[in-house]
Amino acid sequence: MKLGVFVSQYSRENDTLSRLKAEKLGVILVQNGVYNAALKEDGKSSPILDKGTTVYALSEDLQTRGLSVDSVDSKVKVVDYDGLVDLIFNEYEKIIWL
Amino acid sequence: MSKLTIGCFSSLVGSMTTDFVVKLAEAARKKGHDVDIWLSGNGTMLSKKGQRSFKDYSSLEKTIKELVAGGINVTACEACAEARGYHKEDLIDGFGRKSMDWYLASCFSADRVLHIGGE
Amino acid sequence: MAIKKIAFVVDKLPYKTETSRLALTHAISSQTVEIHLEEDENITPVLAFVGEGVLNCIKDHKASDVYGITSLESHIKNALLTDIKVLICEEDVKRFGLTADSLIMDAEELGADITSELVPFDTIMEEMNTADHILYF
Repeated sequence: MKLGVFVSQYSRENDTLSRLKAEKLGVILVQNGVYNAALKEDGKSSPILDKGTTVYALSEDLQTRGLSVDSVDSKVKVVDYDGLVDLIFNEYEKIIWL
Repeated sequence: MSKLTIGCFSSLVGSMTTDFVVKLAEAARKKGHDVDIWLSGNGTMLSKKGQRSFKDYSSLEKTIKELVAGGINVTACEACAEARGYHKEDLIDGFGRKSMDWYLASCFSADRVLHIGGE
Repeated sequence: MAIKKIAFVVDKLPYKTETSRLALTHAISSQTVEIHLEEDENITPVLAFVGEGVLNCIKDHKASDVYGITSLESHIKNALLTDIKVLICEEDVKRFGLTADSLIMDAEELGADITSELVPFDTIMEEMNTADHILYF
């Protein structure tokens, strides 16, 4: 299964996310989830970025919150709404929203 | 052309999730995809006409009416709407009101489903 | 015959918000989805409770007596009555110190033929894997 997981909340630990298994798993940070892409608590990036999955963040939601694209961790690919549509149809078969 | 069904259960006022849904639907439509939006729970409020626009609150009536005119299907849960005291005559023209099984049927024919639950 | 499987996965707590209730009512609405589909088409729902969502399955809800509202328990029993597969994550049940005795495992009094199943998370993951779509409540 190719599973895209939308993460809409800022939570450095995400039990659900850590349990999901798929042959291809991607994390798409939207809404408050984008803080995971840019914030470093005590100098450390969000553990969500270290799950070994591809991580995306929505540029519009970064900008809305005063987070510049430059502040985003190098592990994260920044996409816009057009990019989200392409991810949904081209990269993943199923999508869930957390 | 592929079809995206989006289920939105979050409220219009007090949440930015409906804004997300509308922007995603708009982007998908521009790329030539069919889009169904199912509004349930507090999400049904997006389908109610006559909402006054304030800058402090999400105001999507104009945008979503344009999307519907452009071919997007927006259907609200009838029971969820009635429970909130708004009736068929309150529905924005061109929008649908159906029972919950409509959503499942939309999922049946969808290539992708993004279900956004409530809080 | 075109049958599509939809996995309804519930990880929210009951009552404070209507999210888990809407998961149940939407899953049960699969009973009437045929009216919108072609003759040879249908949907098979699977209902799975994971994480805090397993707490929906604690039995003896008194929501009807206290608040005059349909209980989640009655919806879960109706799901069993309509032959919807109900899965409860056993790791989470154990984590919360619960056992099958304290959970809604059957709807015998309604005449349901099937029971809830306590299963490992991996089994639920496999249901998600084989589903056509996942609705995560």
